[in-house]
Amino acid sequence: MKKLHECLITLHNLVAPHHYRMVLQNKDLAIHSSPGQFVMLEVSTGYYPFLRRPMSIERIFSDGVSILYKVCGEGTKILSTLSVGEKINVQGPLGNSFPIPEGYPHYLIVAGGIGVAPFPALVEKILKVRGIPPEIILAGKDYNHLLCEKDFKQMGCKIHLVTEDGSAGQSGLATDVLETINTQGETIVYTCGPLPMIKNVHKICVQKGWLCYASLEAEMACGEGVCLGCVLPAKMEIENEMMARVCKEGPIFDTQVILWDKIGDR
Amino acid sequence: MDVSLQISIGKLILKNPVTVASGTFGYGEEYAEYFDISELGAVTIKSLTLKPRLGNVPPRIVETPAGMLNAIGLQNVGIETYLKYKLPFLREKKCTIIANIYGTSIEEYVQLAEQLEKEGGADAIEMNLSCPNVHDAKSKFKCPLIAQSPEWVEKYTYAVRSITKLPLIVKLSPNVADITEPALSAEKGGADAVSIINTLLGMAIDVNTRKPKLRNVVGGLSGPAIRPVALKMVWDVSRTVKIPVIGMGGICSASDALEFLIAGARMIAVGSYLFRDPLVPMRIIQGLRDYCLTHNIDDINKLVGSVIVE
Repeated sequence: MKKLHECLITLHNLVAPHHYRMVLQNKDLAIHSSPGQFVMLEVSTGYYPFLRRPMSIERIFSDGVSILYKVCGEGTKILSTLSVGEKINVQGPLGNSFPIPEGYPHYLIVAGGIGVAPFPALVEKILKVRGIPPEIILAGKDYNHLLCEKDFKQMGCKIHLVTEDGSAGQSGLATDVLETINTQGETIVYTCGPLPMIKNVHKICVQKGWLCYASLEAEMACGEGVCLGCVLPAKMEIENEMMARVCKEGPIFDTQVILWDKIGDR
Repeated sequence: MDVSLQISIGKLILKNPVTVASGTFGYGEEYAEYFDISELGAVTIKSLTLKPRLGNVPPRIVETPAGMLNAIGLQNVGIETYLKYKLPFLREKKCTIIANIYGTSIEEYVQLAEQLEKEGGADAIEMNLSCPNVHDAKSKFKCPLIAQSPEWVEKYTYAVRSITKLPLIVKLSPNVADITEPALSAEKGGADAVSIINTLLGMAIDVNTRKPKLRNVVGGLSGPAIRPVALKMVWDVSRTVKIPVIGMGGICSASDALEFLIAGARMIAVGSYLFRDPLVPMRIIQGLRDYCLTHNIDDINKLVGSVIVE
């Protein structure tokens, strides 16, 4: 499978202040992509920025994929200036994907801010393979940071909106809502967002006995598992403790394998 | 015209002068999905230690202008796992293997080299005497590297030289006043080649939190930012020692590789730029061949050290 692709940018929209959606056209990339995987974008042809930028795949189409990103540094600033019709070098798809095990009547998604990025593709996949629309907690700082609400509505999802300032939906945090949700039968939770939020989602899931998968991020150089820059302490299968590569063993982790106590306040 | 890219390091003959820097290529599996890794002159693997190492606490990398800082701390699978699970893949691919080794004492280096030779785990050994990331920067004011002491370099090199017939390469640090001194010591100790250079020590701070961006506080700088420094050191060393110099530091293209060869490197390694473009070694091999054809050079060795200083 070829992993380096020249992609045509066929759409590039501002979807909220500082947030963009970009569609990357490439059949080969689309065919091999699964929900939860990511791509590494070459945002510059020069040496600044030096490294590629990792981005979750938002949706998978027949002839391309989309990404959803927030401008937060030099790389994404440059990315935001690219126009439709330009080409960009894309490495991917990379990493593992969301498991969608059978026998779970409830699929619950907890998304914080730009952490919503990998979920539209996941919802589509769950609908396709299980026929059950997931329930979604969509949280953000304010109403400007609630992305993809319309998409999820169209997909038939039950949505709980939460904002820290109360400007939309319930006032508070994603975890406030998660705590109040009671389901009957096996439940599986998928989460992505700020690390403190993921940590708390994990804690709640442990209490409720729910299986929880998180999409994690880290400073990353290669995206392929060779540089060992993006690791997290984890307890996986054979080894007692290991440094798991977010790019290779992840980005999707069963939150029970992460050694949360050893992760600092990053 | 036929162009020969063949070079030799000690008694080891390599089909071309292009390898990868230790720690940027794992044990070959990942980038084998991108190109035929047996096309490389050699695969230099991630540093091996006697026991597996978890490495440093993250964050371990940070991007910097035209490069990056890393403080991985030699996370690796250890020699046992390498021999059992990683080596068969490299052998099946018919790669020439340069095994980079790291020990905390002379005895450990000796043990690693002995075991590698005995079990056919390497075609050459590169002694990492220059990792900047295995000391605690907070607790010690000074973090001496073996490569910072010419006397130690000779001792360590000699010890390993005495127990192995494998071609022996010593990787040196740019974090010294005069790199030709440890290079001469490596030669005196019996090294077949020296790798010039490991990363330059550096630091970056988040001004909002006032915390260093690396949990290890300091790390090793790599990428094109260090290329002119590396090139100058390669030039210095290649005029001082008689053994081959393997040049590395920010090489991103065939043109960069040519600079190093012309400055005096017999072989070159691509490092951090692999993270940006995994195909860069193949582009460099092709680019070297094209250059030789264009400039009527039938043997790449004729380019080595051909810099014209007026």
